[in-house]
Amino acid sequence: MNSTRSHKAQKVLERMGKKLNRQIVGSFAACVHCGMCTDSCHYVLANPGDPTYAPAYKADKIRKLFKRHFDWTGRVIPWWVNAKSVYTDEELEELKDTVFGKCTNCRRCSINCPMGVDFATFNRMARGLLVSVGIMPEGVAVVSKDQWEIGNQMGVLKEDYIDTLEWLSEELVDEFGDPRAAIPIDKKNADIVYSINPREVKYDPRTISDAAKIFYLAGANWTMPSEGWDMTNFGLFSGDDDLGGAVARRLYEKVEELGGKKLVISECGHGYRSTRCEGQNWAQYDLNFEMESSVTTMLRYIHEGRIKVDKSSNTDPVTFHDSCNNARSCGLTEEPRELLNLVAEEFREMYPNRAENFCCTGGGGAMSMSEYTPRRLKSAKIKADQLAATGAKYVVTSCHNCVDGLSDLIKHYKLGMKVTQLVNLVAEALVVPEKETAVPVEEIPAAAAGPLDGYKILVVDDEPDFVSFASAILEDHGASVVNAFNGNEALEVARRESPDLITLDITMPGKDGKQVFESMRKDPQLKAIPVCIITGQPELRKLIYDRSVPPPNGYIDKPISEESLMRNVRKILEIKQKATK
Amino acid sequence: MPDELHVNGTSLRLLKADITDIEVDSFVFYAREDLSLGSGYGNAITMRGGPSVQEDLKEFGERKVTEAVITGAGNMKAKHIIHAVGPKFQEEDLPEKLRTTIINALKLADEKGITQISFPAMGAGFYGVPLEESAEITLSTIMEYLKNGSKIQEVIISLLDTREYIPFQKKLNSIQKS
Repeated sequence: MNSTRSHKAQKVLERMGKKLNRQIVGSFAACVHCGMCTDSCHYVLANPGDPTYAPAYKADKIRKLFKRHFDWTGRVIPWWVNAKSVYTDEELEELKDTVFGKCTNCRRCSINCPMGVDFATFNRMARGLLVSVGIMPEGVAVVSKDQWEIGNQMGVLKEDYIDTLEWLSEELVDEFGDPRAAIPIDKKNADIVYSINPREVKYDPRTISDAAKIFYLAGANWTMPSEGWDMTNFGLFSGDDDLGGAVARRLYEKVEELGGKKLVISECGHGYRSTRCEGQNWAQYDLNFEMESSVTTMLRYIHEGRIKVDKSSNTDPVTFHDSCNNARSCGLTEEPRELLNLVAEEFREMYPNRAENFCCTGGGGAMSMSEYTPRRLKSAKIKADQLAATGAKYVVTSCHNCVDGLSDLIKHYKLGMKVTQLVNLVAEALVVPEKETAVPVEEIPAAAAGPLDGYKILVVDDEPDFVSFASAILEDHGASVVNAFNGNEALEVARRESPDLITLDITMPGKDGKQVFESMRKDPQLKAIPVCIITGQPELRKLIYDRSVPPPNGYIDKPISEESLMRNVRKILEIKQKATK
Repeated sequence: MPDELHVNGTSLRLLKADITDIEVDSFVFYAREDLSLGSGYGNAITMRGGPSVQEDLKEFGERKVTEAVITGAGNMKAKHIIHAVGPKFQEEDLPEKLRTTIINALKLADEKGITQISFPAMGAGFYGVPLEESAEITLSTIMEYLKNGSKIQEVIISLLDTREYIPFQKKLNSIQKS
């Protein structure tokens, strides 16, 4: 090999030889450049004049290395088969831009290739080669390291996870007036071990409590593990098979340690694919238990009569977005539709759908790569058109990545739709048997029912309408509210008023929310005051990942609802519903 | 298989635990050259220890690979953190740099009169050092250092899960047999 090749380039080529398998070699060799893949890619459709987005073009940037170093044609007649090597770190950076920034590994081109070329598979391999020499988007590095060392990809500490489950349990016990409604943690020999996405703990705990309600009313013998609970797997996105194996093994070993009979995976496309379909290979692990999607579990409970649902609880028209990983890689397409038709009055199909559906554009780890956000949102035009054509008010999806990706594009293209998951709709439609409510719940006198009585909250936002809206909600619940409309004013009011909680917008003129937040965390007088970020720009969640200071205590995407605001405020202030300070 | 051995009166043992959540005099954080705590264990240090650790690091600026610095541990169960800048991602001369990093961390502990120190699986996981190689280098380097005399009374290797634990246990077993 060329002696002028950089150390990293040399290592990439050495490792590439070890990663080649029959599927990848077949895909490298089979492409005839017919162009059938071109129009299947949402990046191409959004950038019709730019050939660098075409799957075959992108594939050739990796294929040329294979041809040059691992295929006899490239060694003998390199000029004929476009075989080229890689020599510099700059070339590797260019490759990073393609494999991370111009593809979500959604596999739509793969299923549309008449030659069976699976571009997504060797694109993932190329990502893994770059990661092995430390070349990756910063967001990928942050999330990967969290999952390697904390055990989940959002860096949720064990004590915070347990605290959230206990808080949700208290609410469930209060709601049903039954201690059996609590979430069982580390229960031995349960029929079901329920695994979740850390996003549910951090941003969307309602999905956990909705699932818990369903398990409770179904009389399920279930549990949630205290460790090994993250069913997502960033190894699928980063191409790091070692990470993929480590994450899957932690999950599988915990189920076996608990003696669980079945691992149920909450609604997450890449989590389902990683845990159900890929993890056993990455971890080299033989399983002694079954696995299924929570969609299948919920559907079975209805079929078996263990839960009853009333679709009149969900009257708004809904459509369904198939997650790429669920539909194209795992065949999970019919169960969600059957379930949706049982719990919602008006289901409108989106076209194309199932395996031909377009990516939410947030897949493949794209939501963590903020440097590619403009590119991602531009490519989301095709998805936005698909959504708008349904005329639905809600888009339902069985994937947390898709929830974020769709929410972001809906806001960007001003579609006015909301995103939800099947677990939320099923919980909403649940018919609670009389016996479950027969236990009297202690009622608190109406005069004392304001759960925020005695709390002072500072609302910071440059939009007066938002400040009025949020303040009205908080005041209705008993809080004393003070306001600030820019960063400097926020610091001044916070020091003067010493509030119990600060809600903080990120994007503001002058000193923005990120600077204000860091100033607060470093200010001895203010650093202990909990802060809840409320932003209309989810991509700025980088703030949460950049941790030179302790992270915010809560995070809500705009537009907010009364329910989401109060749920987060109660959680941060550790207030039980109906309890007083 | 054994989980502990003694070298020159110093205990060297394995523990299945999160290194950022144990009661210990000091633990080693596999640091970046800019000494920014970042994510992973760095995130746990920030969350459990508070902002003082990153503040303490400011006085050191940047450090080269193999160098180590020491700070307090804020509100953590540990008292000190040794930030050791280890080699990463298949970089050149990685085994030798990793040995030097471990020795520098141990020397710093001795200089500061620390008697108990915990190491993670050095370089394994995110930074890509294969676990078997990490176990070989980490354990052999620590043993060699302790043989030459040290005031450290206990070295704990904190391993996050069975995937990390088993290769270290096998290596410890082979050392005992040899």
